[in-house]
Amino acid sequence: MRSETTSWVARREARYGLLFVLPWIIGFLAFTAVPMAATFVFTFLNISLTEREPLMFVGLANYQRLFADRQAWASLWVTARFALLWLPLVVVLPFLLAVAVNSRYVRGTGLLRVLLFMPYVVPFVASALIWQNMLVDDGWINTALRVLGVGDAPSWLSDPSWVIPGLVMIGLWGLGSGIIINLAGLRGIPTELYDAARLDGAGWWRQLWHVTVPMMSPVIFYTMILAVVEVMQYFLIPLVLFDGSGDPGGATRFFNLYLYQTFFTYQEMSYGSTLAWLLFVITLVVTLVLFRLSRHWVHYTSER
Amino acid sequence: MNRLWHTLAAILLATTLAACGADAPPGGDDAAVELRWYCCLGTGEQAEQVKAQQKVIERFNASQRRIKVKLEVVTYDSARDTLATQIASGNVPDLAGPVGVGGAAAFHGQWLDLAPLIKSSGFDLSPYAKGSADLYRIGSVQEGVPFAIYPSTLYYKADMFEEAGLAEPPHKYGEKYTWPDGRQSEWNYDTLRELALKLTVDKNGKDATQEGFDPGQIVQYGFEPARDDLRYQGAAFAAGSLDTGDGKTVKIPDAWADSWRFFYDGMWKDRFIMTGPVFQTEQFNGDGAAFFSGHVAMSVNFLWSTYGVAGAGDDWDLAAMPSYKGRTTSPTSADTFRILAGSKHPAEAFEFLSYLVGPASQELLSAYGAMPARTADQDAFFAKLAGQFPNKVDWQVAKDSVAFADNPHSESYTPKYNQTLTILGTYRSRWMTQGGLDMNAQLKAMREEIQDVWNRS
Repeated sequence: MRSETTSWVARREARYGLLFVLPWIIGFLAFTAVPMAATFVFTFLNISLTEREPLMFVGLANYQRLFADRQAWASLWVTARFALLWLPLVVVLPFLLAVAVNSRYVRGTGLLRVLLFMPYVVPFVASALIWQNMLVDDGWINTALRVLGVGDAPSWLSDPSWVIPGLVMIGLWGLGSGIIINLAGLRGIPTELYDAARLDGAGWWRQLWHVTVPMMSPVIFYTMILAVVEVMQYFLIPLVLFDGSGDPGGATRFFNLYLYQTFFTYQEMSYGSTLAWLLFVITLVVTLVLFRLSRHWVHYTSER
Repeated sequence: MNRLWHTLAAILLATTLAACGADAPPGGDDAAVELRWYCCLGTGEQAEQVKAQQKVIERFNASQRRIKVKLEVVTYDSARDTLATQIASGNVPDLAGPVGVGGAAAFHGQWLDLAPLIKSSGFDLSPYAKGSADLYRIGSVQEGVPFAIYPSTLYYKADMFEEAGLAEPPHKYGEKYTWPDGRQSEWNYDTLRELALKLTVDKNGKDATQEGFDPGQIVQYGFEPARDDLRYQGAAFAAGSLDTGDGKTVKIPDAWADSWRFFYDGMWKDRFIMTGPVFQTEQFNGDGAAFFSGHVAMSVNFLWSTYGVAGAGDDWDLAAMPSYKGRTTSPTSADTFRILAGSKHPAEAFEFLSYLVGPASQELLSAYGAMPARTADQDAFFAKLAGQFPNKVDWQVAKDSVAFADNPHSESYTPKYNQTLTILGTYRSRWMTQGGLDMNAQLKAMREEIQDVWNRS
């Protein structure tokens, strides 16, 4: 009798659970799963809004084109260059700033927290436009550099060699959320661990390296994964600053921007889908590799 | 549980009914067809222009009850991508414009053929110059009817010529340029280069031909080409196309190659044209066109530049376009309104289009600063335009320039149109930002890159 009641309750709970999760399932199917499946099918077709060709199955032609497409690989290289410079900064800097803000030796930490987080509140596009004016040849940054004695200040937005560092500088403006996440992690580290380390004679550096970093490793790993996904999707700032032109000289035609152009400017839906799938596969592989590597350096305090 | 399902079903039904009801027109207008006018693939986004367009719509809507028009303003920078997205998602507007040859070519194959509507409605093409309707015929498709034209001229600052002790450039086509020593030269790009060097001045007052000239401290530039589009720059030398004619093979016209070398050397060798980084500075970037900053002596641009030319001061004027190898070309833009092939109401859209290019044209042309394609309206247009400026401008130059329009048009459709534009834009940007490039190698690489893309057709 009891087991029958339990089973009825369990079924009812399952139905309620399903009911409440139904909106998400519908949303996921309608806006993620089905479009993903559709784009995969598109990669084997010839859908282009500008070509008047009958819809055809083209086999692997889009994939063959992808391997021969110099622009696709050039754009991937632009993304990789940005990632190489951006990822270490966006992972390490918020951690170090959070450690600094969390330190008992630093005064006015409340104000510091607000100041560091404040830029994050400014809409990204607005801050990009402000930075655009700051980075031009007669902008504040170069004026300041000239005052400091730098005779030939870089052309941040018009020199293909300097534009990536310029974009990284703009991106640093939005580190606020990373700092808050790291701060929350730091506050969660049990103080007994530091007490024990101090009793063992550990100084500031050893405490940081042997207590803080291992305890923070899940948070660092989390920010790293988010940063990788974000960098693969990087698109908005170059679109706003350069109207999606890839200027100067193609140095800001990021892979995602090229993907966007292929879809919406060139209106090549099938080839755009192929590019999207390449991006998905790369992101997936990088994330899986990071997860695999995380076994060696990420420490969880609880068991699964 | 049943009660929960019933409640959910009721909410769903109510939401659906509410959503369905949202589109229903208010009482009395049930039969009205709603048309969407998409702006701004060309001009039309300035506040005053939007106001003028809204007024035209209000008058049209008030004049009858069958059609209601709604204006959708998307700024030029994102107008192409937005329209492409709307078309891709099946949310197609009915009518777009004003849009030029290039803006239309970016949506090749997606414009309605107006020929049957022109015929069935008895639309009168006689007020336009003979053959002007052909400007809007792409292949066998009549994409538009004549509306506005914008010839190119040479804008120049008379005070800078006077200060340098130089005579102003000729206003009449075929006239020669007279130097201070009485020598006369053909009014061509060699003469323009010579003048531009003398009119490029550093902060110490030395011009680019003098010993000790400091190219790092230039305060006044001699010349500014139309740097937005390499094809336009090429066409300012001579009309041409990247397409050899077979729709498959790329060839960079010799005149275009020469014009691009002129542009590149002007920036990095002769220094009379500003480089990309200088072009971006506040000092020289006057509302998007360097000439508007008042620090440039001469500039080639379309007639629509009158919208911001007041920024250059009150001593500017128009001169004839220089010639290249004995021939003169004035790249001419031709704007009109087009109907999307995906419009659900083509007949109504054509009725509204006829209103725009007919009764409303004077008001719109004035707002756009566009020269009417209807020849009888041109004098009135220039009289009104002249009233906007305190200085006396020789508008006859613009009228005369029409005879030198580029044919084929530089913005005409080529295979893989948008991809080709991207490649041209990338090279343009590279040339503006990198000195020391081998232009012959650049031109060869550009041709190969475009050919690669065309080969995919």
